[in-house]
Amino acid sequence: MTLTHLNQRGEAHMVDVADKPESRREASASGHIVMRPETLALLAEGGLPKGDVLATARIAGIQAAKRTHELIPLCHALPLSKVSVDFHLDEASSRVEVSATCRLNGRTGVEMEALTAVSVACLTLYDMCKAVDKDMEIGAIHLDAKSGGRSGDYRRGDEAAKVASAAPIVTGEGEAGEVSVGMRCDQESPCVRVKCLAELRESLGVSELTVSLDDLPTADVGGLKAALVERDPRFARLSEGRVLCAVNQVMAVDATPITDDDEVAFFPPVTGG
Amino acid sequence: MIRVQSAPFDAGTEQQALLDGRTEVGAVVCFTGLVRDFNERPEVSALTLEHYPGMTEAALQEIVTEAEARWPLQGVRVIHRVGRMAPGDPIVLVAVASAHRRAAFEACDFIMDYLKTRAPFWKKEHSASGDYWVAERESDQRDASRWEG
Repeated sequence: MTLTHLNQRGEAHMVDVADKPESRREASASGHIVMRPETLALLAEGGLPKGDVLATARIAGIQAAKRTHELIPLCHALPLSKVSVDFHLDEASSRVEVSATCRLNGRTGVEMEALTAVSVACLTLYDMCKAVDKDMEIGAIHLDAKSGGRSGDYRRGDEAAKVASAAPIVTGEGEAGEVSVGMRCDQESPCVRVKCLAELRESLGVSELTVSLDDLPTADVGGLKAALVERDPRFARLSEGRVLCAVNQVMAVDATPITDDDEVAFFPPVTGG
Repeated sequence: MIRVQSAPFDAGTEQQALLDGRTEVGAVVCFTGLVRDFNERPEVSALTLEHYPGMTEAALQEIVTEAEARWPLQGVRVIHRVGRMAPGDPIVLVAVASAHRRAAFEACDFIMDYLKTRAPFWKKEHSASGDYWVAERESDQRDASRWEG
């Protein structure tokens, strides 16, 4: 991970986007401003001294998005094709939620524009209401989603969800000692998931694979070994020397039966402790 | 209590936790296994431990359950580390509490013998002359077979 706005000497520079392909870019951001319930009520009924608060804040947000490059030093000036700013009055939390979406066909992302729109809309809300409430607090300004461009799509919360779903099931590819997610059978027909662990993984160069149950001459570990040798002679190693086997994480022998979606692991004698 | 973790542990803290608030315990045996700087080859600079998540915890639980069936134990704590470790680092902890010392000594010994031969852990040593997977030892098998029959 590198910071694209810093060059090799760590100096700030503007990224040259001339050679980047154009794509449809969209970003949305949100934030909120917390205020006293009385202020929110005045805002809702249009009773604030400066007039229509939300309409003014919306225009301010849109204008700000268009002028982001004047505020944020290394941002490009972008011909935005769409900017929308929306408000939701949340009486339960006594706050106004502000969201903004920016879009263009171009070479750089528009998340700074969306974030700027939200920030300035919030500041404008403050300015419009400050005569009656100086305790208002702006917060939680963040990017919700962005799409298009080389860095790929982003949706806030996805990273956390990814981490949670990546609960380790079995050792696999990658550094020894690390774990990868166990795969599911991706085939329509019944199949077994085969894993090779530790030294066996490294010497065979195979971490995980699936084998169709139909390819097994007999539906047991012995049959699986035969099917694997059929696929690649190097799997003869599984029948040589001391290679252990577990079916669904319970120690097994050649005669142990195998059924659909079983997890079969082959590994060398254990050396822990 | 069984834990498989990459973080280091402190044997003193773990033993204290096992005994916390208990006065019926008469003996506690706490074994800690460490990374040596020599093994199959000299100059071992690091060790990487791989395991089979899911099966590892189940295998350790089975060993502890068997120990509890053989000796009158009042508490067992097993911690095994995985990932990369340096010489001097703790790898494994087995702490056993019992009313009397003999049961605690023997159960701790038993758990370590079975752990070394039945729990799916594999050591890879990084040495001055290269990396290699540690081979099983016949002596470990012999040690474990002492408890059979």
